[in-house]
Amino acid sequence: MSASRLKTGGHIDRTREIEFRWDNTRYTGFKGDTLASALLANGETIFGRSFKYHRPRGVMSAGVEESGAIVTTGKANRRDPNVKATTQEIFPGLEARGQNAWPNVRRDCGAVNNLMGRFFSAGFYYKTFMGIPPFEWGRKGTGIWMQYEKLIRRAAGMGKASREPDPDHYEHGHLFCDVLVVGSGPSGLAAAVKCAEQGLDVLLVEQDFEFGGDYLNHSSEESLRKRDAALAKLNSAGARVMSRTTAFGLYDYGVAGLLQRVTDHLPNPEPSLPRQRFLTLRARHTILATGALERHFAFGNNDLPGIMNAHAADAYVNRFGVLPGQQVVVATNNDSAYNTANQLARVGASVTLVDARTAIPDSISGLLGTRGVELVTGSTVLNAVGKRHITAVELADAVGSGWKQGPTRDCDLLLVSGGWSPVVNLLSHRGVRPQWDHDNCCFVPAPTNEAITSTGSSLGIWGNSDCEDAGRAAADAAIASVGNQTNTVAMPAAGGWETPLQPLYEVNVDGVSKKSFIDPQHDVTADDVRLAHQEGFVSVEHLKRYTTLGMATDQGKMGNIIGMALMAEALGKEVPDVGTTTFRPPYTPISIGALAGRAFGAHFKALRRTPMHDWNLEHGATMVDAGLWQRPWYFAREGETITEAYIREATTTRKTVGLCDVTSLGKIAIQGPDATELINRVYSNAFAKLPIGKARYGIMLRDDGIVMDDGTTWRFSDTDYFMTTTTAHAAKVMVWLEELLQMRWPDLKVHVTSVSEQWAGVAVAGPNSRDVLAACIADASVVTNDALPFMGVVETTLANGAPCRIARISFSGEMAFEVYVGSDHANGMMDLLHTQAMLVDGCLYGTEALGALRIEKGHVTGVELDGRATIDDAGLGKMASDKKSYIGSALRKRPELMREDRPRLVGIFPKDRSEKFKAGSILCRTDKVAGHGEGWITAVTHSPELGHWIGLGYISGGHEHWADSTLVAADPVRTGNTEVEIVSPHMVDPTGERMHG
Amino acid sequence: MAEQTPVRQSALDGHAVAGHHGVEGAGVTIAEIPDLVLWQMAAWSDTIDSAASKAVQQAGVESVPGFTSASGDHRRAVLRIEPLKFWVFGASVSSESAAQSVVLDLSHSRTHLRLTGDNATDVLNSFMPIDLREQSFPVNSVASTALHHVGVTLWRSDAGYELFLPRGFALSLWELLRDASLQYGVIVK
Repeated sequence: MSASRLKTGGHIDRTREIEFRWDNTRYTGFKGDTLASALLANGETIFGRSFKYHRPRGVMSAGVEESGAIVTTGKANRRDPNVKATTQEIFPGLEARGQNAWPNVRRDCGAVNNLMGRFFSAGFYYKTFMGIPPFEWGRKGTGIWMQYEKLIRRAAGMGKASREPDPDHYEHGHLFCDVLVVGSGPSGLAAAVKCAEQGLDVLLVEQDFEFGGDYLNHSSEESLRKRDAALAKLNSAGARVMSRTTAFGLYDYGVAGLLQRVTDHLPNPEPSLPRQRFLTLRARHTILATGALERHFAFGNNDLPGIMNAHAADAYVNRFGVLPGQQVVVATNNDSAYNTANQLARVGASVTLVDARTAIPDSISGLLGTRGVELVTGSTVLNAVGKRHITAVELADAVGSGWKQGPTRDCDLLLVSGGWSPVVNLLSHRGVRPQWDHDNCCFVPAPTNEAITSTGSSLGIWGNSDCEDAGRAAADAAIASVGNQTNTVAMPAAGGWETPLQPLYEVNVDGVSKKSFIDPQHDVTADDVRLAHQEGFVSVEHLKRYTTLGMATDQGKMGNIIGMALMAEALGKEVPDVGTTTFRPPYTPISIGALAGRAFGAHFKALRRTPMHDWNLEHGATMVDAGLWQRPWYFAREGETITEAYIREATTTRKTVGLCDVTSLGKIAIQGPDATELINRVYSNAFAKLPIGKARYGIMLRDDGIVMDDGTTWRFSDTDYFMTTTTAHAAKVMVWLEELLQMRWPDLKVHVTSVSEQWAGVAVAGPNSRDVLAACIADASVVTNDALPFMGVVETTLANGAPCRIARISFSGEMAFEVYVGSDHANGMMDLLHTQAMLVDGCLYGTEALGALRIEKGHVTGVELDGRATIDDAGLGKMASDKKSYIGSALRKRPELMREDRPRLVGIFPKDRSEKFKAGSILCRTDKVAGHGEGWITAVTHSPELGHWIGLGYISGGHEHWADSTLVAADPVRTGNTEVEIVSPHMVDPTGERMHG
Repeated sequence: MAEQTPVRQSALDGHAVAGHHGVEGAGVTIAEIPDLVLWQMAAWSDTIDSAASKAVQQAGVESVPGFTSASGDHRRAVLRIEPLKFWVFGASVSSESAAQSVVLDLSHSRTHLRLTGDNATDVLNSFMPIDLREQSFPVNSVASTALHHVGVTLWRSDAGYELFLPRGFALSLWELLRDASLQYGVIVK
C-alpha cells in the first residue's frame, strides 16, 4: 500500500501523538486526525465490507457522505455502529473495528456472497424466498420467509448496536438568535462576520470538529489566515460559534434542530457532561452555507479500496498531511479536479488526469504542465482493476457521444469527480423542491419566501472567492430581513468553471459487463436501476423503495443523482422530469438517546409527590402510581401480603379509625360575585342554595349528557367556594371551568384557581374519627355532631397552630372527615392524627383499602364514570335537578340515554361465596357465555365486612332486573368463569347510618 | 394549645444536600428560598386598574407591572401572571369586596428556587423553550412556561431567576435542574 503520512503539512498537531486501536491492533495518529486519515497514514486500505456482497471497501470521501469506511466504535454498552471513519476524531483510547465481516474486514468469510452477486439483484430475497415453491404453494402467509429472514439479516447488515442500556446521558436545550449560519466554510464565515458586525446576534454551527470548511483543504496559508481572521472577528463581535454541531433539520418558523456532540471525542469525559445535546434553535433568519458534495459516477468496480472522490484527496493532503496514493489517476468531467491533481503532484505523486471533455482551455490545462501532471482529454474510467485494492484502471476513450475501450494504466489511487451536488437537504426539509441547473448538472435551491437564504456552494457557486461574496450577499439578505437594511453585495451567479461540465453518470462500452455501484452503502448497482425500470417502476420514489437506493445511512448523499440520471435515461427523460426525492430530517443520524434527553428512568415523566410522601414511606407505605402522583397503596406490617394488609386496614377503619392521604384529589378555588351561578350551571344537582359552612356532593356532565366528574364543593362565603375533583380528572375539570368562563360565559365574574398544591389532605374515617380529630385541633367543640353535622364545613386550627379546613364527608361510608392544611404543614398534621389514631388502635390505609371500602358502599370512581356512563346509569339520576338548566341537562334526556335497558350500576356477589372473580370480566347469561354479554365488572375486592369477594359493575336493566338470577362472570383469558349474583350496589350500610352517626 | 403556626416543611427537605456538586467552579447556584409568601389578587375587567393599584400599595412596590412583567425586587414584588391576575410576592393582600377583587393565599402551593450564576440561563434553557437572552427577557420579566412538561412560573428579579414550581413536582424538577447543573459546577443552598 502506498498511502503515507507526509513529512510536513496539514493542519494536524504533530506534537500530539495519539494512540488508538483498530481491529484490536494499536495505531497512532495525531491530534486533528480523523480515524480515516490516521488509518490511511498507517497504510490501512480496507475499512469495511459491503452490505450485501461483502465486497471490501475503503475510504471513499473525507466527510459525512462516506459510504465505504463505516465502522463500529466503542465497546460493550458504548458500542456505536455505522460511524463514518471520515468524521470520527481520534482520541487516546479510541477503539474501532470493522463491521459486517467475520473474522475481520481484511479476510471476511462473507465475501463468498460476491461470487454469487449476479443473482442478488434488487428484490432478490423477496422474489426468491417468499411463497417459495413447492413448500408454500397454495398457502398464504410468510412463515418460511420469517425463518429465512433471520439468516439473511445475519448475513447482511450495517453493524450491531449494543443491547445493553446506554450508560451515557443526553440533554435537550433551547437556543435563540437573530441569525443562524449553518456551515463555517468561506461563505458561512463571511456571512456570519457581516451579520455579527452589524450587531446581530449570530450563531454559527459547524458539523466538523474544525471550523473552516473548504479553507481547511487548501495548502495556502492564506486560507487559514482568512479563517482565523473571521473567527477572531466573530469573537470580538460577540457571536457564538459551535463546532461538532450538526444542523440536522429545519422546521416551521425558523426552528432548526441541532445535535451537538459533546464528549464523543473525549477519552475520559467528565461524568456530568452529556454525551450529546439535542438543541432546538429559533432564529429570525437562517443562512445555509452547507456546501456541496462531490459526485462519483458509475464504472466497473468503482467501489474498490483506493477509489475516492477527488476533493477528498485535497483534504487528506492539505488538512491531514496524508498522501493517499503515489501513482494517481484523476478522472473528471469538470474543472474542480485540476487543482486536486496539482496538489497531489506538488507533494510528490505521479498524477494522470483524464478528462471526459475533449476541449480544455490552456488557462486550465496549462496549470498542470508546471507540476508534471499528464493530461488525457476525451477519456474516462471504464473499469477499476484489482481485488483488495486498485492496481490499474481500464480507460475508455470518447467516440462521438459514447465510449470505446481504451488503454490500461497502473495506479494505486483513483480519484473521481463526476460533478458537484449542492447540499440542499435542509431547505428540502421545508418543502422547497430544488430545481435542476442544466449548466452545472445539479439540483440547486429554489427560492423560498421563508427567512432562509442559501449561499456559497450550496447555491452552486464553486469558487472560494465567489463563495465569500455570496456569504456577504446572504448576510445582506438576513440583515434586511431582521433589520430592514438594503442589500449592498450582489449574489454571484451559480457556477464558476471556465469549461462547462460534461454530464457523466455512467461509463458503458458495448460488450463489457461490469458491476458498477451507484449507492455503495446498500450495494445498489446501475443494473439494479435498469432492472427496476424493466419491472415497471417508473417513479423515482418507487425506484428508491424497490432498490433501496438512498436508504442507507448517507440517505442518498452519494448516489441519488446518479440513480435518477440512470432512471431518466431508461425512461428517455431529463433528470428533473423524473422528479426529486424529498430529503427529510435528520441530515445525519442522531442517537436515540439524544431524542430522549433527560426524559428517561426515574425522570421519564415528572414525579408528583404529596406533601406527606416521605412521611408515608417512613410509616411503611408501599406506593402506587396514580397518574403522575404516587399514592400510598398499602401499609403492610411485617410478614403481611398486600391482601392481608388491605383487609386489615379496611377492617380497622370500619372498626375504629383509619387515616388516608387524599392530597391527590383535585382542588379548585372558585371566587367571585358569580361563583354560585357558575357552580349551579356546572353541576347537575342544585347548588344555588348551598348554605355557607356546608359542602355538597356534585356530579358534572359533559355537553352530551355523559358524566364528566364528581366531587364535593365547600362554601366558605357568598363568593368563595372550594371544589374537589377526582384525582384523575383534576386538570380536565380545571380546564373545563376556564373554558366555560372564557368562551361561553365571559360575563360571569368568577375566577378559578387550582389549589391542589396548596392544600394537603387526609381522610379520617371510622367510628372513632371524631374523637381522634377532636384531640388534634385547637378547639374540639367545632367538630361535635351539632357543630359539624354530616356535610358540614369549618375553618379552624390544628393543635399545633396550623390553620386547617375540615369537612365532614365520607367516601368510606363511615363517619369521616377530610382535613386540609397548608402543604408545608402536612407532616405535622399527620403526626398529630397518627398519634391519636394509634391510641384507639387505628391505622393508616392506602388506596387498596380505600377501594375496598368504597366498593362495599357502591361509591363510583373513574372506572365506573368511564366516559360512557350517564348519571342514571350510575344510579345517581335522582340527584339531577329538573328545575334548572345546567351543562348536559338537555342531552342527558336523549332517548338513547333514557332507555330502560341501559347498563346500570350493580353489586356482584359470587354464587359460591368462597369463590372470587376479577375486574374486567364480562357478565353473561349462563346459557350464552359469548360476545359482549349483558354487562361488565368494573371493580372487585374482598369485603372485610361481608367476608367474601364482591364487585361493582354495569348490567343491562340494573339489579332489580336480575334479582334471583345466576349469571356468569366470564374471564376467558385469565381465570375462567365464575357464577355470580347481581345485587344492589350499596352492599354495606345501604341506609348510611354509619356516616351520619 | 400552640400560639404560633408550626415551622413549615419544604418539599425538598431531606433531599437537597447543600454544598458544591459537579465539576469545579460554580456556574450555577440553586437556592431554595424558604417560607414563601405568595398571594394572588384577581380582579375584573372593570376593576383591574384600581385593584392593581391597591395590590401594589399593599405590597409596597412602586408601580403596577405591565403584562408578563413584575415590579419590585427579590424581597417584595407584584407579578402580572394573567391579564386579570397578579401575584404578590413577599406580602399578603386583602380585598374589601369581591366586586372589586378576590384574593387567595398560594404560599404553600409553590416551591421557590433562585438560580444564579453564569450558566443559570443554560440550565433553564435545557428545559424551557423561551428566549431568556437579556434583550428578550430583562430583569422583571415574567413568564408562565414549562419545565419537563410541568407548568411553572419564571421571573427574572434583580437577584437572579426566581422559579416557582408546583410543590408536588418540586423535588422531581429540582433533581433535573441539579443534574443539568453538574456539568457547570453547582452550589446548592
